[in-house]
Amino acid sequence: MKWMPTCRETTALASRAMDERLPFTERMGMRLHLAICENCARLNRQLQEMRRLFRAEAAAEEDGTPGLDPDARQRIASTLQKELGA
Amino acid sequence: MTELDPHTWLAEHGDYLFRVARRQLHSDELAEDAVQETLLAALSARARYTGDASPRTWLTGILKHKIVDLIRRQVREAELPRDQDGDEAVDLLFKQDGHWAEPLRPWGNPHAEAELSQLRRVLEECADRLKPVMAQVFSLREVAGLETEEICKELDITPTNCWVLLHRARLFMRQCLELNGFARAGAA
Repeated sequence: MKWMPTCRETTALASRAMDERLPFTERMGMRLHLAICENCARLNRQLQEMRRLFRAEAAAEEDGTPGLDPDARQRIASTLQKELGA
Repeated sequence: MTELDPHTWLAEHGDYLFRVARRQLHSDELAEDAVQETLLAALSARARYTGDASPRTWLTGILKHKIVDLIRRQVREAELPRDQDGDEAVDLLFKQDGHWAEPLRPWGNPHAEAELSQLRRVLEECADRLKPVMAQVFSLREVAGLETEEICKELDITPTNCWVLLHRARLFMRQCLELNGFARAGAA
């Protein structure tokens, strides 16, 4: 990598930085780029915001979505019944 | 000690287990498989139930393993990315020299503006449109909150593959949320 990553490279680094601590050179390159590039800084904020939304959503009650449909329930019930009867 | 009655499992926990599985697997069919395999495994393991956890917690623990098994099977069958290049969706966002093709629009404050149910629906729809392997790695990381190290180990993929999949999935999700009305004048 050159002394400063491109926008494309920076988005990959910003994403990876959400998963682990970047090696020193990559971390410095990313910070430098984010400091001077409005688009990449915005993308980085949006990735963080997205994570926040997802975690909040995952923590919410498991309700709104539909459960097992009757056919699937029936299939599972008969498989279980076979096992229980065996 | 709480008694286990397998006859009530499906009625009492079926929907719950299905929703948990559906959220991770993004497929009704796979979620049904996961629930069935969980209940069958629970049936043969019920002698080992100690009563320390509630039946639902115990079943959910088994389900988590089944979900990872199903995802692992899918990942084995899928073709994994080799590097950063060669993904059309990401290619479109950038020019040849690596600069953004178009400036990014700022987002409003989705949390305040959107009804929670609406937000949930959009997140789910966007996640469903990811390629299956990407959706699953994304869910393991962002929904289930596993560390990438665990994801790599569980799915037997390299860290590089993991980062590439997550990077693509995140850019896709961002784009999808924006197209569904999350881009407004304001913060972020």
